[in-house]
Amino acid sequence: MLELKDVHTYYGNIHALKGVSLTVNQGEIVTLIGSNGAGKSTTLRTIQGINRPRSGTILLEGVALEKLPPHEIAGRGVAQSPEGRLIFPRMTVLENLEMGAYARKNKTGFDDDLARVFSLFPRLKERITQKGGTLSGGEQQMLAMGRALMARPRILLLDEPSMGLSPLLVELIFEIIQNINKEGMTILLVEQNALMALSIANRGYVLQTGEIILSDAAAKLKENEMVRKSYLGIE
Amino acid sequence: MDKNIKSGITFGLIGGFLTFLFGGWSVAVLGGMLGLGLGLSLGSRFERRNPLQIARASFMPALVAAVILVGLSLVQNIFILPALGKARLFDNQVIIANTIGFLVVLLLTIITCAIHGLSERQEGIAKLVLLAIVIITFPFIDKATGLRWSAQVIFALIFVILGLGLNIVVGYAGLLDLGYAAFFAIGAYTTGILSSPQHGIYMNFWLVIWIAAGIAALWGLILGAPTLPLRGDYLAIVTLGFGEMIPVIFRNLTEVTIKEPFTCWILPGITNLFGAKSTLACITFFERQDLTAGEKGISPIGRPSLPFIGEFQSDNPIPWYFLIIVIILLSIFIIRRLRESRLGRAWMAIREDELAASQMGIDPVRTKLAAFAMGATFSGFAGAFYAAYIRGIFPSVFDFSASIIILVIVILGGLGNINGVIVGGLVIMTADRLFLPALKDFLASLLTNTILPSLAGNPVLQAAVKDNANPILYRFLLFGLTLVIMMAVRPEGLIPSAQRRMELHAAEEMAGPVIPEETAKPNAMTVAGKTKAAAKKR
Ligand SMILES: Nc1ncnc2c1ncn2[C@@H]1O[C@H](COP(=O)(O)OP(=O)(O)O)[C@@H](O)[C@H]1O
Ligand SMILES: [Mg+2]
Repeated sequence: MLELKDVHTYYGNIHALKGVSLTVNQGEIVTLIGSNGAGKSTTLRTIQGINRPRSGTILLEGVALEKLPPHEIAGRGVAQSPEGRLIFPRMTVLENLEMGAYARKNKTGFDDDLARVFSLFPRLKERITQKGGTLSGGEQQMLAMGRALMARPRILLLDEPSMGLSPLLVELIFEIIQNINKEGMTILLVEQNALMALSIANRGYVLQTGEIILSDAAAKLKENEMVRKSYLGIE
Repeated sequence: MDKNIKSGITFGLIGGFLTFLFGGWSVAVLGGMLGLGLGLSLGSRFERRNPLQIARASFMPALVAAVILVGLSLVQNIFILPALGKARLFDNQVIIANTIGFLVVLLLTIITCAIHGLSERQEGIAKLVLLAIVIITFPFIDKATGLRWSAQVIFALIFVILGLGLNIVVGYAGLLDLGYAAFFAIGAYTTGILSSPQHGIYMNFWLVIWIAAGIAALWGLILGAPTLPLRGDYLAIVTLGFGEMIPVIFRNLTEVTIKEPFTCWILPGITNLFGAKSTLACITFFERQDLTAGEKGISPIGRPSLPFIGEFQSDNPIPWYFLIIVIILLSIFIIRRLRESRLGRAWMAIREDELAASQMGIDPVRTKLAAFAMGATFSGFAGAFYAAYIRGIFPSVFDFSASIIILVIVILGGLGNINGVIVGGLVIMTADRLFLPALKDFLASLLTNTILPSLAGNPVLQAAVKDNANPILYRFLLFGLTLVIMMAVRPEGLIPSAQRRMELHAAEEMAGPVIPEETAKPNAMTVAGKTKAAAKKR
């Protein structure tokens, strides 16, 4: 469904992605793990067109994305819950969710989608008239994910949904990610919390300073010596 | 003391003080405004209950206000007029005017206040009816009482339209435009060029006003395009530059020559290379044409005319007044629809966070350009009306200070709020064009007849007082002061949008410890580091 082939992205002369190739198939959860600064967010931003790759191709169901501006990529069904959440702080929860559906040409089923988001995140329903900026970190994460879902995307990109959340809440968020996936959503999950990510993903890629150094089924990666040592903190 | 009585005293004193400045029949007209204002402010304080009960409760404050107003108005007649060197005017006219003033305060206060006792829906309708009556009767009352405020009110209304247009750019899309008067100038000059003896073109006003709006919108796109990659301060500086450039350009378009480039330069250039002479004659469209008449401006400019009414005249402000009211109503209608539209929501999203907006599928380029173009359209209407109304246009009218006044109107009224901008425009412009000149005349008469003679012993002081007692000199000081005070006391503007009020509240709340219960914060350092990283990414 989504395929990156030898993607190179630069920030000025910083070579952030050095030929990243990866694929995500329909209905999968694929995780991209790596330490801080490895280029995980850059990968997602490149897919979304916020950073332009200098070379390489990005295909969504066979259609090249790498030359399109971000709003057109969003219009083609790529939605992201970005790092740092980037919700609209001065809009209410409901307005944020409405913005999520902006790119959709037909608004039929808007109410159903809203109901679905609220059933996934009951907390959001309680805060429906509250300003995004006044939500707690966990609620903002839920809002960012809910907003991405409102676009009815073909693929959902999640950038570190566990960042800054308490262990209990991380559990909850990962459970919700699994539920979303069970309903048929294809997900590319970027995480530093490799243990959690690998336990819900089908497959995984390990990114190190802009290069994919390993890729395998998630269960196998969990057993991999190098991954255990560097990313799971297990000797 | 009772809070309501206090309001009555405040309103009475303000109204009374204004009768000092305007005199004559102003007591009756001011009484009407005072009644409406007092009634509205009292009404909102009462619980929604029986209108009769509310009416009874508002009687005392209304009476107090009426007594103070008429009392001060009589003081004006008996003591102030002689001090201004005018004859005491205690005739039948004065008695009638003051009686009417008294009754009007009582009546209107009680009525507007009692409206609040109706159901919410009925209250809305009643307020609308009241507003319509005030708007429709104002120019006739103004004429009958000889106050001659209409001409200045029309000016205020021109700036209301400008404020509404700028509000789209600054209030909705969050693009700080410091050169908005440029589009006003473009609208006015389009009208001047297309409908004056300057070029012998006399297009019909009803056509020109649309052309002016269209050309202003086009220039909104042209001037908006280079600012697109800019944000915040940079955007403001570039728009400031454009705002300065446009009047200079109009001032200097006095010798315009337009030649067809191929026959005039390219072909002769090529033939010259081969040592031959071009045989084709150079086609010249314009030769040293005076497009804008420079500093002396374009005049007279054509005026609108209608069946039955005929051509609008300078000495009768009533048709002009109703024309601008219609333009404003139309603008409000369009802007409301825009705000609720897809485009309107895209503006709000861009204002909040451009990056996030583009991830929602919003095209920032088109959205911002649409804001510039729509904003400019309304100043095009305003410019066309202004040019026809004034009958002449001069480049100096459209300089930086005009841009700033429009911006002050938007901020003072309440960024992003249509009603706020209307109130802001009326308050600022009537203060500027009615209150300050009246205050100036009042002070001047008072000085020459009373104060200056008493200072005859100290000629230096006398001269200093004489030279400086002109409030119009302090116009911009007063604007600035108003803005500073507003920002300190009521940053959300006179009538803030619900959105904005909540934002400022939210900001207060956010300043407190909102670090959420779930957020595991390892230590302050990482939190700070993250925000810094987030800031860097923008
Ligand atoms: N806006 C930027 N400008 C310059 N360098 C950046 C920018 N954003 C990220 N980088 C650099 O690119 C590399 C990858 O960053 P990022 O994708 O954010 O990593 P991750 O998400 O894996 O932590 C890092 O070395 C980082 O310093
Ligand atoms: Mg990251």
